[in-house]
Amino acid sequence: MLAFLYNHNVMEQSSYIKSQPNLDAIFAALADPTRRAILSRLVEGQACVNEIAAPFEMSQPAISRHLKVLERAGLIERNIDEQRRPARLKAENMAVAVDWLEEFKAFWGSRFDQLDDVLFNMKLAHKKETGDE
Amino acid sequence: MSNLPEYKLTRTFNAPREMVWRAWTDPDLLHRWYGPNIETVIHQFDLRPGGSWLNEMKMGDKSDFSKMVFQEVVPVERLVWHHSSADAGWNVISNPMMPDWPRMLLTTVIFEDMGDKTNVHLSQLPIEATDAEIACFAAAMAGMDHGWGGGYAIMDELFVELQAGD
Repeated sequence: MLAFLYNHNVMEQSSYIKSQPNLDAIFAALADPTRRAILSRLVEGQACVNEIAAPFEMSQPAISRHLKVLERAGLIERNIDEQRRPARLKAENMAVAVDWLEEFKAFWGSRFDQLDDVLFNMKLAHKKETGDE
Repeated sequence: MSNLPEYKLTRTFNAPREMVWRAWTDPDLLHRWYGPNIETVIHQFDLRPGGSWLNEMKMGDKSDFSKMVFQEVVPVERLVWHHSSADAGWNVISNPMMPDWPRMLLTTVIFEDMGDKTNVHLSQLPIEATDAEIACFAAAMAGMDHGWGGGYAIMDELFVELQAGD
């Protein structure tokens, strides 16, 4: 968690965090396969609801609801000036969530790597002791 | 209890069980691996049910504090503790950035004797958690198992695109 803490401090200093939405909302938004598919589609570029809905067996209102969840989580933004209201990806917020998860995932794994080293040295020391006897 | 989201990790260590147990329960050995490349101070290590492990990881003038309270201590076989973030006064706190992250994780470590090797099974699940905490942890665990594979792929593509755009 420490690298995370560091990132957090850096972000705080750069006031990045002020513009940052709730990570809980991002996790919840990403937990749904349709919404992940929508994000994948938006990687290719901005799109409006009917374009996004086309590959899904889902009504446009249903897709609109998913878009609202993504928008509230800060993962996409929609251009209010244009009539078609195309949706666009805001990847930097997702990066924060992915970082968080990476950090959690790496926590025990990196410690276990270190434990391997400690055990190796313990075995060396043990061999030396028993060898001397 | 059984349908709570759970984090699981198993690793085989190339050392006999007694030695692995010692590396986990002797603070002089524990601090060497628990905070890799970081100055780790174990302020208290009271290895008995109800006893605490107070851990500080220092980075410059910042510290990351965690408080572990042992629930079960079965020598060479099993360690169970409640794992929490803490403030500098060792009060359990929720994460400032992610308030719905579980405040307390029930952490179980099982040491399985494999002769001159040892399997270590670690699991963490939310305890005394609110529905929001359970949902948050469930979403994170879902991401660990089968991807937000999606999420990472999206990030990768996006970074390529952003770099190409420069």
